[in-house]
Amino acid sequence: MKSIEHSLMRDVGRRFAFFFVVFVLFVGGCGQVEDAMDTEDGETSEADDAIEVVELPPIAVAEGDGLPDEIPQDLEWLTNDSDPEFASTDAIQGGTFRASMQAFPLTLRLVGPDSNGAFAGFLRYNQFGPVAFHPYTRRAMPSIATHWAFGDDGRSIFYRINPKARWSDGEPVTSDDFVFAVQFMRSKEIVAPWYNNYYTDRIRDVKAYDEYTYGVQGADSKPMDEMHYNYGFGPKPRHFHVMSNKWVEQYNWSPEPTTGPYHVGEVSKGKYIDLERTENWWANDERFYRNRFNPKRVRVKVIRDINTAWQHFLKAELDTFGLVLPDFWHEKAQGEEFDNGYIRKFWLYNQLPQPSSGMFMNTNQPMLEEQDVRYGIAHALNFERVIDTILRGDYERLPTFQLGFGAYDNTTIKPRTYDLDKAAEYFERAGFTERDETGILVRDGQRLSFTVSYGQPHHTDRLVILKEEAKKAGLELELQLLDASAAFKKQQEKKHQISWGGWASQGLSPRYWEHFHSDNAKRTQTNNVTAWADPVMDELIMKFRGSAELAERIELAHRLEQMVHDSGVMVPSFQVPYTREAAWRWIRVPQSVGTPTSGSIFNSQANSAGIFSSGGLFWIDPDIKEETLEAKRNGDSFGAVTILQHDYRT
Amino acid sequence: MSLLNLNPQTIKQLKRFRSIKRGYWSSVLLAVLLVLCLVAELLVNSRALMVSYDGEWFFPTYTSLKPGTTFGLDYAYETNYRELRAKFEEEDEGNWVLMPPVPYNAFENDLKVGSYPPNPPSFEDEHYLGTDSTGRDIVARLVYGFRIAIAFSGLLLIFNYVAGIIIGCAMGYFGGAFDLLFQRVIEIWSNIPFLYVIMIVASVVVPSFLTLVIVMAALGWMQLTWNMRTSTYKEKGREYVSAARALGAGNVRIVGSHILPNTIAVIVTFVPFSIASGVTFLTALDYLGFGLPPPTPSWGELLSQGTNQLQAPWIVTSVVVAMVVILLMVTYVGEAIREAFDPKQFTYYE
Repeated sequence: MKSIEHSLMRDVGRRFAFFFVVFVLFVGGCGQVEDAMDTEDGETSEADDAIEVVELPPIAVAEGDGLPDEIPQDLEWLTNDSDPEFASTDAIQGGTFRASMQAFPLTLRLVGPDSNGAFAGFLRYNQFGPVAFHPYTRRAMPSIATHWAFGDDGRSIFYRINPKARWSDGEPVTSDDFVFAVQFMRSKEIVAPWYNNYYTDRIRDVKAYDEYTYGVQGADSKPMDEMHYNYGFGPKPRHFHVMSNKWVEQYNWSPEPTTGPYHVGEVSKGKYIDLERTENWWANDERFYRNRFNPKRVRVKVIRDINTAWQHFLKAELDTFGLVLPDFWHEKAQGEEFDNGYIRKFWLYNQLPQPSSGMFMNTNQPMLEEQDVRYGIAHALNFERVIDTILRGDYERLPTFQLGFGAYDNTTIKPRTYDLDKAAEYFERAGFTERDETGILVRDGQRLSFTVSYGQPHHTDRLVILKEEAKKAGLELELQLLDASAAFKKQQEKKHQISWGGWASQGLSPRYWEHFHSDNAKRTQTNNVTAWADPVMDELIMKFRGSAELAERIELAHRLEQMVHDSGVMVPSFQVPYTREAAWRWIRVPQSVGTPTSGSIFNSQANSAGIFSSGGLFWIDPDIKEETLEAKRNGDSFGAVTILQHDYRT
Repeated sequence: MSLLNLNPQTIKQLKRFRSIKRGYWSSVLLAVLLVLCLVAELLVNSRALMVSYDGEWFFPTYTSLKPGTTFGLDYAYETNYRELRAKFEEEDEGNWVLMPPVPYNAFENDLKVGSYPPNPPSFEDEHYLGTDSTGRDIVARLVYGFRIAIAFSGLLLIFNYVAGIIIGCAMGYFGGAFDLLFQRVIEIWSNIPFLYVIMIVASVVVPSFLTLVIVMAALGWMQLTWNMRTSTYKEKGREYVSAARALGAGNVRIVGSHILPNTIAVIVTFVPFSIASGVTFLTALDYLGFGLPPPTPSWGELLSQGTNQLQAPWIVTSVVVAMVVILLMVTYVGEAIREAFDPKQFTYYE
C-alpha cells in the first residue's frame, strides 16, 4: 500500500539496500539472534528502572502552516472505483504458505532501533495507508480511505476513512489514529530521529474533523499522486501504544495490531514467525482487495543460507523460490521435480523502477576529478561481455542513472559502451599516452589505476571480467571486496575511489537531490557518493523538488538525467526488468501471472518491490497439492512447465 | 656430504630418513613441485615461451608486456599469444609461437559467446581441468594458488619459529619471573579467538598477503614456545652447559651454539606439520571469504566455488584431489622426519 511508511522506508531502505541491489537478501550472522535474546534477557534485569508513562504533546504547528479549523466546504471529493480489478475469482482461500528469511528479526517494532531488517517488510506491508496505488494504472485507489480531496493551498490533502476499517484486534480505525501517528512519529520515545525529523519537517499539520474525516498538510506542493505518496501516511493505533521512556524495550516483541490482511501469530524465537490471516478482515469484500491474500497463514522460517533454502524448497518445505540469479534459473532449477512438472518455473517481465546500479566515481579523488578520465573509464568497462557470458544474456544494460518511472525516463540517452578507441582518445586527452611495462597507462609517473570497492561477494565474477577487459584499455582496476557494511561505510565517508553497487529505487518519480546536490557533496554520510557539485544542477534539482506541475517535473527530470550522463560520474551497469521464480504446482496464479508492477509473483503481502499494491494474488489449491505429492511418490509426470509472461516487456 | 661437514649423528638421521621410502619420495616429489612452481610462468602462462616473428626471436615470459603491435596486430594491449599462434599457423609464413603446456594465466577469463562457464575439461581448448565460474583455467588457478599458499605457509613458519624459538628458549633458559610472566602472557594470548580476529580485521581492511601473515603470526607464535621452553630447560641442566659457562661463555653463546643445536630435532619434526597447517589455514580463510582479496588465485576460493556449483564437479574434484595429495605428502614427510630424529630408535622396553 502506498503510505508514508513506504516513502520513509524507501529512504532508510535505500541506504541499506545499497548492497542488496538486485536480489534483496538480508544477510545476518548467527550473532544476531543471540543478540536479540540478550536484549530480551536484558529487559528483565533492567526492570527495576522506573517506567515513566509519557503523555504525547498535541500537534505543534509552525507559523505559516496549519490546516483550517473547519473542513472546507468546496472540496471536490475523489475516489477510484473505475480501475479494473486484478485478482482472480478462481482463488481458493486457506492453506499455509511457507516462506523464508535469512535472519530472525531483532525486533517486531516498526520503528526504533533495529527495525529495518528483512522481516520488517512483512510487518510494514500489513499497515495500510489511506490510499494505495493500482498496479496497472498506477493511479491512487482506495485503501483505508474511500475518498480524498486536495486543498487549495496545494499542499493539503483530506481523507474520508472507510467506516468498515478495523484494526486486527477489532477496534475501529478513526481519524484520531492518524493524528496519533504524527504525535507518535514525532516523539523522542521511539528513538527514531529520522522519523522524528520527517514527521516534523515534511508533515506540517494533521487534523481530525470528525471520526472518519481528517486532513494532512505537507511541506511543499506536489502533483496529486506525489501528495498521496509523500503525505499519505498510515495510522497508528492509539489504543495500543502506551508511550513511556521504556517504549523501545517494552514493545520490542509486541507486534502492533494491523489494518492489513495479516497479523503476527505464533512466534518461535530464532526459528519462525507466523502471519495469520485476520478473521473477518474488513476489506475482504472491498473492490481491489477481494480474492487476494488467500493463504490462511504465512509461515516465515529462518534459513540462513541461500543454498540450504534451495534444498528446503526441493524437499517441498518451501512453496516458492526466487530464480533471478542466472545460475539458479539455468543450472540449479533442473531435475525430476522440474522435468515432471511438480515445480513450475515463471518468468515475468515488469515495469518497475530499476535500482541505480553501477560504478560511482568519487570526484574528490585525484584523476577522477577529470571528465576525460571518467569518460575514458566508462568506455573501458565491458558490461556487454559480462552480460553475454556469465550473465547468459539474461540481464540488460542500464542506460541511465534512474529508470522505470514511466514518462520521467529520459529514453534518448544511450549508455557509453566498451570502445577501446574512444577510451584511448579520452585518456590521451587527459594526458595518458604511455603504457608502463604492465601495460597500464601512465602520465608523469602516475598510473591509471583505481580501487573499486564493493560489498557483494557474488559480484566478484562480474568485476573480474571488467577488470581484465579494462586492462586492454590500459586501465587498472584493483578489486576490493569488503564486508557489506564496511563497503557502505567507506563510500558514505567518501573514502572510496570507485564504488560498485546500487541504490534501490522506489516511488513515482526519480530522485536527484540526495545523489547530486552540492549540499550533500561536502558532507560525509550522505548519498552523494560521487561528491558531485554543480550549481546549475543544484538549481534544477531544487526546482524539480518544489514543482507541482507534472509536465514541468518530467522536463526537469529529463534534463537532470542528461546532466548526470554528461558528468560521467556514474557508469550505469545492469538492469533486471523482470522477476523469475519457481513454485510447487499447487501454488496457483491468475491468468496474467502478475501485474506490470509486480516485483515478485509469489508475494504474500500487499506490496513487493515498489509502492504498488500488486501482491497477494496467488492461492494454494489443496486438491492439486494432494495430486502432486501423490504423483511425486509414484514418479508420475505432468510434463515440465515454464511460464513466460512477456506482455509487460518494454 | 663431507663438504657440509655434518656430524655423524645428523648423517645417521639423514640415512634413516632416506630409508623411509614413503616419506623420502614424498619429499623428493614436493621439492620438485616447489621448484616447478617457482618457474610456473614457464609452464602455465598466457605468454608465449618463444615467438619467432619476421626472423626475430622474442621471449616474452619474464620481460615487460608486449603490445599486440609488436607482432603486427592492431591493438596496443597485451598480445594474445594463443590467437597469435593460430594466426601464424594460418598464414604459414614461417612465423611461429611456442606456448607453455598450459597456455592460460590465472586471471584471464576465457569466455566464448554461447558457452557459459564453468566449462568442463577439454583438451581441445587446452583447459585440462576445465574452467571455473568466470572461465578461468583451473590448472592455472591451482598452480598459482599452490605457490601463494606455500609461500604464505613458509613465511608464516619463519615468523612463528623465530618468535617461538627466541621466546621459548629464553623462558626455559632464564626461568624464574621471566618464565612465569611469559607463561601467563601466552595462556592469555592463546585464548584470543583466532577466527574472530581475522573476521574483524577483514571487515576493516582488505587483508593483503602480508597483513594475513602478520595477523596469523601474531596469534600463532605461541605453539612452539612450550616445546622450546621444555627442551631448553632440560638441556640447561646438562653438564656441557655448565662446562661452557665455566669457560666463560655468555648467555647468547650458550643458547645459540650449545643448547639450540641439541633441540633442533624438536624444531625440525614440527616443520612439515606447520607447513600443512599453514596451507589449510589459508585455504579455510579463503573458503570463508576472509582470506586474500579476489581475484588472487586460491584453493579456498576454488573450493567455495566448487561446493556452490556441484553441477560442475570438475572444480571441486580438482581442488580436493590437489589438496589431499599435497597434504598427504607433507604429512608423510613429517612422519618420516619424526621417525628419523627419534632417539629411541634402538631402545627396547621390557
